[in-house]
Order: sequence, then structure tokens, then C-alpha cells
Amino acid sequence: MFSVGSRSNFLTNESCIKPKGGLFSGMDRTPVTILTGFLGAGKTTLLNRILTEEHGLRIAVIENEFGEIGVDHELVINADEEIFEMNNGCICCTVRGDLIRILGNLMKRREKFDHVLIETTGLADPGPVVQTFFADDEMKEKLFVNAVVTLVDAKHILLHLDDSDEAREQIAFADVVLLNKCDLVAPGELDKLEKRIRAMNALAKIHRTTNAGIEIEKVMDVGGFNLDHAMEVNPHFLEEGHHHHHDSHVTSVGIEADGDCDGKKLNEWLSRTVREQGADIFRMKGVFAIKGGLDRIIFQGVHMIMDAANGGPWGDRPRKNTLVFIGRNLDRVALNAGFRACLA
Amino acid sequence: MKQIAAVTADDNILSLAWCGDSLAATPSTGEILVLDAAGRNGSALAGHGAGNGESAWFGGSLATCGFDGKIRWNGREIHAGRGIIERVKVSKDGSFLGAGQGKSLLVFDQDGNPAQGLSRLPASVADFAWDPSDSTRVAIVGAGGARMWKFGESEPFARFDWGGASLRVEWSSCGRWLVTADQTASVHIYDFTRDYPLHIQGYETKVRAMAFSADGKRLATGGGSVITIWPCTGKTGPEGVTPVQLDGHDGEVLATAFSPKTGQLATGDGTGMVLIFTFEGDKATRKRLRLDAGISALAWHPEKDWLAVGREDGAVSILSL
Repeated sequence: MFSVGSRSNFLTNESCIKPKGGLFSGMDRTPVTILTGFLGAGKTTLLNRILTEEHGLRIAVIENEFGEIGVDHELVINADEEIFEMNNGCICCTVRGDLIRILGNLMKRREKFDHVLIETTGLADPGPVVQTFFADDEMKEKLFVNAVVTLVDAKHILLHLDDSDEAREQIAFADVVLLNKCDLVAPGELDKLEKRIRAMNALAKIHRTTNAGIEIEKVMDVGGFNLDHAMEVNPHFLEEGHHHHHDSHVTSVGIEADGDCDGKKLNEWLSRTVREQGADIFRMKGVFAIKGGLDRIIFQGVHMIMDAANGGPWGDRPRKNTLVFIGRNLDRVALNAGFRACLA
Repeated sequence: MKQIAAVTADDNILSLAWCGDSLAATPSTGEILVLDAAGRNGSALAGHGAGNGESAWFGGSLATCGFDGKIRWNGREIHAGRGIIERVKVSKDGSFLGAGQGKSLLVFDQDGNPAQGLSRLPASVADFAWDPSDSTRVAIVGAGGARMWKFGESEPFARFDWGGASLRVEWSSCGRWLVTADQTASVHIYDFTRDYPLHIQGYETKVRAMAFSADGKRLATGGGSVITIWPCTGKTGPEGVTPVQLDGHDGEVLATAFSPKTGQLATGDGTGMVLIFTFEGDKATRKRLRLDAGISALAWHPEKDWLAVGREDGAVSILSL
């Protein structure tokens, strides 16, 4: 049974095996895309675009937002969002009961879906939605998170960003941010807004859109935590990490170090970190070189849940470690020091 | 064991329900089939779009429901809201039909008129069970655990809200016991006579199948490949008792059903194995049947030794034992 924040030795060489589940993509599992964003940000517009485009995918849609604009699609399922606490208030054991029940039923169908889209309410906390696909065995076995896609209303988001935990968390959890309604905002303002979002979430891909117009594959084919993607954004987050931004509540902390880590020390430090600070850590992503191991280790976490997978051989590439925390009130200095103490 | 009828639906069989010699087979999607007394495919009822819910016989007609938020029964279609309906259940005396939809429990009388249901509940209805001795009372499970309600009252008359979440619930026909299958690999059993909850952990997996015997003296639970039989007798029931564990399955047990006529227990697993257990005191003997696809539903005929077996590939067989 998975235990909170103390999965033993998951980063040692012996455990460098293909994961059974988690947030990592898998060919035999169905991808799930989670659409978040405040009411009016353009979630339903994007959903309608996805459903009407000729992509040949059989998509099931679970809608928690019963908006005025209906989505005309035979596989749209309406359900109230329902938070299940599995372990008396433990944040990592919070999952979405409605998704477990509906998807449990859908996955019994003989004719499977190519993709599942979940449209959350404007005020939804993405944490339990993502954790559902990590903490529930059946969900983990049959589905994986392709991406958390957050729609941001470029015109109005600044009204919410300072005083809404939900708005900040939706950005912090995102793999993809659609900075929408860009036609209503001057380019200079967009640059500032994008910089602010980037400071909160250094890893998300940010696309500027109008009427949620975007190539579907940029939303539907993200592929979960992708190693190439992680390496691609790596230089940027490190650069951003040294600047001071006024969104002190939600920030990204990027750490990079050449050489190898001691797997045991790293495992112990990560376990302790999520145990003590997991409530404030929204997402973690990393690539590690473990001493004695030939392969890259890909790491990802949500609050107190962590998972690791084999990322294939380093080959001729220089061995180095990259780790990003996205969360609230993160102590950049302490996290850097903690990680560096794990180097071999 | 002899097969007396067979039919194939479009999808995984979600539920089976007998009414006399008629059997309703509800697949996850597609038409809901009703076999007649001779085992022929008597009729096919329209499905409910993205997914069907579990059907139930109500006043001699089959009530169906589904993810489209609709209930169809006796030529009527009731569309109370957009939320999904996962199952309909009929009170033991046959007077009411109930359906959970979001935070409401919809209840209809035999004329199809709304009766006193429950709305604005504290949590969505994951499942519910009628009190076998009082059709104005129900147990509802979901986030928080189980709460027992009497229609017309604003507060539950009993609470077994243990803080976690429960997905399914059964009320023993004797009225004494309530069991919930939880989001975690555990069950909660409540003894109404003592107002006393028991939390049973240690299952290999989440419990996806459970059933009380017709007299309420045995509770069979899945939760892995082993079936656990809890004695529900005496002053304290399962408390402090070592349960009987029945093996023989190769995969996770997905369906269980006690025969109301013989007391035999039928169980089915994801590999296509069906086991029939016959109890003599503390001993159980078993018969084994291997089918081609995972077993998703089982239902005993109320008066005969017929067992309906539904499979993940949509096949339904009626076996005479």
C-alpha cells in the first residue's frame, strides 16, 4: 500500500523500472486532460473547439461546470464535483469521488475512449483532480494525466490573482496555460502578465490565444510529464528563478546541479520535504542522475505524492540533475541547500 | 449445471435483475435486454447515451436510468436534472422507486409521481439502500460515510459518518446490519441494535462486491481474490470473530450473490471463474465453472435454482443448478 510521503527507496537504482502507474504517460492507458480556469476564461469555448474539430478521437467529457452554453456532444457527462477525504484530512489523500465513480464505469465499456476531458468548475482546486489519477489504484492503472490546461482570462485575471487562492493554484498546477482573450489586452500588458505567470509556474507552456484558438495537439498531445519537455524548459526556469517577483505566495524554485546524486539521501530528503511542506507544494518535477545508475530518473509529485520512472540511458549527454518545485511560500535557499546535500 | 438460456448484449453487463422468470440484463452502454420466461430475448429497451445505470423492476415494469440523467419506466421518461443517475432501487415492499442524482435522492410512487425524496443533502449520493422494514427510511453513502434518513425530516436519524468515503451500501434484509464498501480497501459494518460501527481493513483491494445472505446471517465480501464471509449473528456479530475465507478464484472477485432459495453463494472474478459455495455449518463445498470472459454480474432467481451470469464481454447465461 502506498504510504504518504515515505515511499521507500523509489529513487535507488534497484527501483529503476517501468512504473505501473502514476502521472507518467503509458501507451496502454487512456489520457486525461483537465481543463481549469475561472468562470468566463474560455473553458467551454475550448471544449467546443476540441469536440467539433476533425481529429478522429473518441472523447468522453466530464463536465462539472453546468454553464449556460451547453456542449452539444453525446458523450458529455454532467456531475457535481465531490471531494473524498480518504484519510481524515490528509491533503494527499483527497481525491474526486465523482471522477472515480464515473470513470470506473466508463472504463468498463467495451468500446474504449481515446481521451477523457474533465472541465472543472471555475473555483475548483486542481489538486484532488490530479491526485485522483495517482492515489486511486484503478484510475492509476487505466488512465494518466495528459495535461492540466489552465485558461487565463488575460483581461480580468489580475482582478483575481492577488486575492484568490484558486486562481493562483490553477496556474501553479498547469502544464499548459492558455493566456486567452489576448485581443482585449495591449501587447505590453500581455508581456507583463506572462512574466508574472512564468514566475509562478516556470514549467508550464504558455500560449497566447483569442477565443481559445489553438492547435488541438498543443492541448491534447502533451503526454504527461515529458522528459524532453522538462529539458526544453529547464534553462528558462533557472533564469527566472533568480529574479524577484511580487507573487510571493506562489512561486517556482528551480535547482540544477551537475554530477550524480546519492539515491538514498535524495529519497530521504524528498520524503522529508513533502512530509513537512507537502501541503504547500503543488507540483514537483525533476530529472536525476543517480550514482551507479546508467539511466535518467524522471521524477514527479503532487503535494505529498511522489512517483519516479526510468527515463532511459544518459548516453553521451552530461550527467546532471534538474528539479523544480511549484508551490506556496517556498524557501528557495533551503530547498537548494537540501538538494545539494544529496549530491554524491 | 446446465445452461438454459443465453443472450449477448452490446457491452459489459452492469447489472442483472429478475422479475418472476423474466431477466433484465443492463449493459454499460446500449440496449437493455429483457429475456422472457423461455429464455428468449423478449424485448430491448433504449439505452441511456454515454452510460447506463443499474436497472430495477418496479411494479412489473423495468425502470432504467443512466448518465443522461433520465429514468424510464412503464412508458414514462423522467428527466429531473442534468446529473448522472448510477442506479435505481426499489423499496422492499415494492412501493417506491429511488434514484440518487447529485445531492438529491429522487423517489417515485407506483404511479410515477414524485414522492417524498431528499434534496440538498450534505454530499452527493454515491449509493443508497432502503430500510427493509420501513420504506420511508434510507441509508445514503458518499463523502463522509453513511447517513440514515427518514423522509420529511431535516436531519439524519443515525450517522455513521466516519470521515472517509463510501461507494456502495447494502442493508441486510433482517434490518440489523448495514455494510459500506469504501474508497479505501475496507468496509464498515454497522449494527443498528447496538448503534455500533465496525471498521474492517486489510483487504487486498477496494471491495467491489459484497452481499448479505437472505436471512442476514452471513456477509460475503470481495476485496481481492479471496472471499471473506463474516458471521452476522449473536450479540456482537463479526466483532472479534475470525472470518471464513474462501479461496479458489484466480482474479479479483467482482460479483457476489446469495441464493434466496438455497442459501448458496455464487461469486465471479475478472478471469471468468464462477464459484458456487454450498454451506453446511462452518464448512463450505464449492463447484467451479470457467467462462470465457470476466464475470461482472450475478443474480439468483428468487424462487428457483437458476443463476444468471453476466460477463464483461456482454454475454449473459442462465444456468440451472
